Amino acid sequence: MQYPSEHVPISDGTFTLLRNLIHERIGLYYDMSRRDVLMDRLSPRIIELGLGSSLDYYYLLKYSDTESQEWSYVVDVLSVPETYFWREMDQVQALVEYLVPKLVAAKPDSPLRIWSAACATGEEPLTIAMALNEAGWFDRTAIEINASDASPRAIAKARQGLYRERSFRSLPRTLWDRYFVERNGVWQISPEIHSRVRWAVANLMAPHEIAGFANAPIIFCRNVFLYFSQEAMSIVVHHFYHCMPAPGFLFLGAAESLLRINTPFELQEIGQSFVYVKR
Amino acid sequence: MSLLASLDEAARLRVIKELADEQSGEQTGILIEALNDESWQVRRAAVDALARSCRPETLAALIAAFREQQHSLSVINGVLQVLSLAEIDVITPLVELLSAHDADLRVSAALALGDQNDPRAIPALIGALRDPDTNVRYHAIEALGKLRATEATDDLLGVAESRNFFLAFPALEALARIGDQRGASRIVPLLENDMLRVPAVETLGQLGDEQVVKPLVELLQTGRAPASSIARALATLHERYERSYGEGEFIADLVRRFIDDSGIRRLLDGLDETHGQDVRALTLIVGWLHGPTVERALVRLLGDTTVRREVLAALVRQGARVTRQLVAQLDAVDAETRQAAAVALGRIGDASAVPALIRLLEEDDDLAITAARALAAIGDRRAFDALLHQLEHPTSAVRQAAIAALNSLGHPALPKHVKRLLSDSNRLVRESAVRIAGYFGFEECVNLLFERCADDDERVRRVAIEHLPYLEDERVLPMLASALRYETPQVRAAAARAFAHIEGGESLPYLLTALGDPDPWVRYFAVSSLGRHAFPEALAALSQLAQYDPANQVRVAALKALGQIGGMRAVAVLAPFTSCGDADLERTALQALGRVGHPDALPPLLAALGSPGIERRVEVIEALSMRRETAIVEALQLEVTSSHEQRVKQAAIAALLRIGTAEAVATLIALSDDRACREECITALASLDASKIEWIARGLEHPRTTVRCAIVEALARMRSPHASEQLARALDDAEPAVRLAAISAFGHLSISHAEYKLAHLALRDSIPAVRRAAQVALQQKVR
Repeated sequence: MQYPSEHVPISDGTFTLLRNLIHERIGLYYDMSRRDVLMDRLSPRIIELGLGSSLDYYYLLKYSDTESQEWSYVVDVLSVPETYFWREMDQVQALVEYLVPKLVAAKPDSPLRIWSAACATGEEPLTIAMALNEAGWFDRTAIEINASDASPRAIAKARQGLYRERSFRSLPRTLWDRYFVERNGVWQISPEIHSRVRWAVANLMAPHEIAGFANAPIIFCRNVFLYFSQEAMSIVVHHFYHCMPAPGFLFLGAAESLLRINTPFELQEIGQSFVYVKR
Repeated sequence: MSLLASLDEAARLRVIKELADEQSGEQTGILIEALNDESWQVRRAAVDALARSCRPETLAALIAAFREQQHSLSVINGVLQVLSLAEIDVITPLVELLSAHDADLRVSAALALGDQNDPRAIPALIGALRDPDTNVRYHAIEALGKLRATEATDDLLGVAESRNFFLAFPALEALARIGDQRGASRIVPLLENDMLRVPAVETLGQLGDEQVVKPLVELLQTGRAPASSIARALATLHERYERSYGEGEFIADLVRRFIDDSGIRRLLDGLDETHGQDVRALTLIVGWLHGPTVERALVRLLGDTTVRREVLAALVRQGARVTRQLVAQLDAVDAETRQAAAVALGRIGDASAVPALIRLLEEDDDLAITAARALAAIGDRRAFDALLHQLEHPTSAVRQAAIAALNSLGHPALPKHVKRLLSDSNRLVRESAVRIAGYFGFEECVNLLFERCADDDERVRRVAIEHLPYLEDERVLPMLASALRYETPQVRAAAARAFAHIEGGESLPYLLTALGDPDPWVRYFAVSSLGRHAFPEALAALSQLAQYDPANQVRVAALKALGQIGGMRAVAVLAPFTSCGDADLERTALQALGRVGHPDALPPLLAALGSPGIERRVEVIEALSMRRETAIVEALQLEVTSSHEQRVKQAAIAALLRIGTAEAVATLIALSDDRACREECITALASLDASKIEWIARGLEHPRTTVRCAIVEALARMRSPHASEQLARALDDAEPAVRLAAISAFGHLSISHAEYKLAHLALRDSIPAVRRAAQVALQQKVR
């Protein structure tokens, strides 16, 4: 082992190169104060590959396609999969109680498309599916739920539909019992709800990967821009705006906003939550 | 304006750009009028044009515009920008404007002088503190702060003490910016003033010494100022003491000595009420304290990522007392809290946490990694079996963490287990075992390591090949040669990397052959290994690859290798790449030229210093720092004094530090006169090694008082007996400010080198302030 310590050393210059490359390809931004966080994540891989330095790893990434196995690894280790069912439910309730009735009434013959753009291990789109099912919407109209994440590992877990107890910290017990079955200490989502969601790996910074989803009138993109630079956020939001039909509704996380970027989205209060609206 | 008024924006911009190249008196007038254009782009272009060719007659016209169009904000701003950018003397006319009849003009002059970074403006600005117009005084105060005018300290303290609502605030801000610590004792009484209390607290954080801790803690206990402000001031003071003297803990000790229960309660209440950056300062201060309420508060903050560092440091300071609470947090709902608790347990090192941490190994990957690291830090052998079990974990990062933990446990049974695991049916286990056996070179595992070089699994073979160079065995070279020739691309690349660690010249023919490998990464690592060996025989082949290899990464590696080999021929290949248009190739060529000792490498580097981009200039400066020529020291000095970019200045100072010759040290000494980079220069000088103390101490003979004070500061921060010996010379300085700085420095050092001189100053110095300071220093040491 070439590095007895767990962090592969990295100079300021190489950190800047690596950080900028990651920002350019997948949007995640690491300032100098988060240098240790980045190296904490990447060092095991550099050691595993037996590379001589972090600069070698920079070149390996630089001269690999973003779709390559190496970039998938980077996305996997840098993604933040911590999420849970029934999180920030005001927004999902606004969707079920206000937006779905409005959009279905406007286009009763077309399926309603919903996209969970940074779904991690799937708790968000499954929450949406459970809430819509509870309100009886699947019996009344055609609804397509697409869910994607840049991390192949996260999507693989979402496809399995198996969850540990910590994912249920906010889910009412009745729903937990109704939609999940325990298997060896983990819980399996009901196939009926799981099959309502179509899963895909998609990098928000790659327009061709998200083009097929971003034309939905409802996009949930929560708790991902926290880790993006303003510039990367602006690129993604503009792409959403360009692809979404009008009216279109964009949900961000409670700690996120579009205040600092120039965007034609309009912030509106719908139900008990704030939503960015394309008119 | 009549000429431009009829044109559209694009046409106006074109006209401005044409006029920029051929300015006459009339055209200067048009450009000045364009400062009032409705388009910011036109205004910007006019500013650039005027600044680029600012002659004395242009200056006169600008000053006239300043006087005549002072109600046009655009023109005033534009003129000020031109003055800031122009490379001619603007101080004299601006100082004259400070005496103008019109108060608005005097305000604008004060503003502009503050932006000039020229100490010649300071006397006039101090004079402006007595201007009849309050606005002029306000802007003079701000300008003196920007200029870091230590000469103005007394006058600004006078303004603060006047308790004038409008002026005392900026005066305190300016004092904080100037950083002259002599002012702190006069600011303490302002803590009694309701209006000035909070800014005074903040200024004391910037300026104060250990004497201000008691009044700040007492104020905290009265509740008459927000706990967050006081915490911020104490945190700033602590950070400054730690950075300057390595004595942050002394400030923490004083806080512990003076604080009572009401103070602790106010800090804890503050934690509940505060958000953002202030939480960090409050957490830091709370972390210095002890007691069950403090422990509970700290544990409660575990999940807050914004104060993670402070909370962990504080909990580690609490030690094993908090183990039970932390173990309970391993079952917390959110992952951040569990992670932080595991990290804290590892740092505390209490073995009673081991069973709980072993259980955590079964959790999600991130937690399993953190638990393995914590177990490694605790070093309790009860974790051995559980960590061995992790060697088959599907996630490589988890296996890596387990391997590192097993390596650090040093369990005597490890070689026996590893030998068994080298033949395990699970390829992940074999790979992990190879890593451990290769790292330690266990004798009983050597034959099995060679067997694993022919393992069915490619990854196991790759890892085994990587570890071969560390074995002393005659089979190593043939095995690597065979792998480099016949293996899969990944294993060939590993073999090429491994050849870098084979001593002597035996690897040369194999690596030269590998330069023709069809896989670019095999070529990349073969080139890198040749560079590491610096084989001059490879120069021709590397030159070819640098210029013609189809894979850019191989060309990059070849340029780097050429720099490692060096010589005139390498320079000839490298030089054209410094401006080839490819960022990776340019950067690598610059670094390689920096490494090459040959004199021909210098001209292309110095030429690249004129590159327009900041990043590129910083890269060139870093490359230059690998060399020692006088021309480089001079070029770096020019970068510090002339660059407008802070990053470029900082890089140049860091480069001078790295060069570290007598000339470079003398340059850092001279640059410490520049207020804009004084602190960076002091920090750089103080971080030089002890062999350079004599060179630094030569700065005590510098004609400028500010430089001699800076040298006092640098020597004090070095904290070595020899530095203190040199520092004692400053007690004889003719200038009271230098003597005072030296006395203050001895407050943080042993006075054995200076006791007699301090006593002499305490009794006989002609300046009362110096006598008092020496008496205080001696009394402190007695206590």
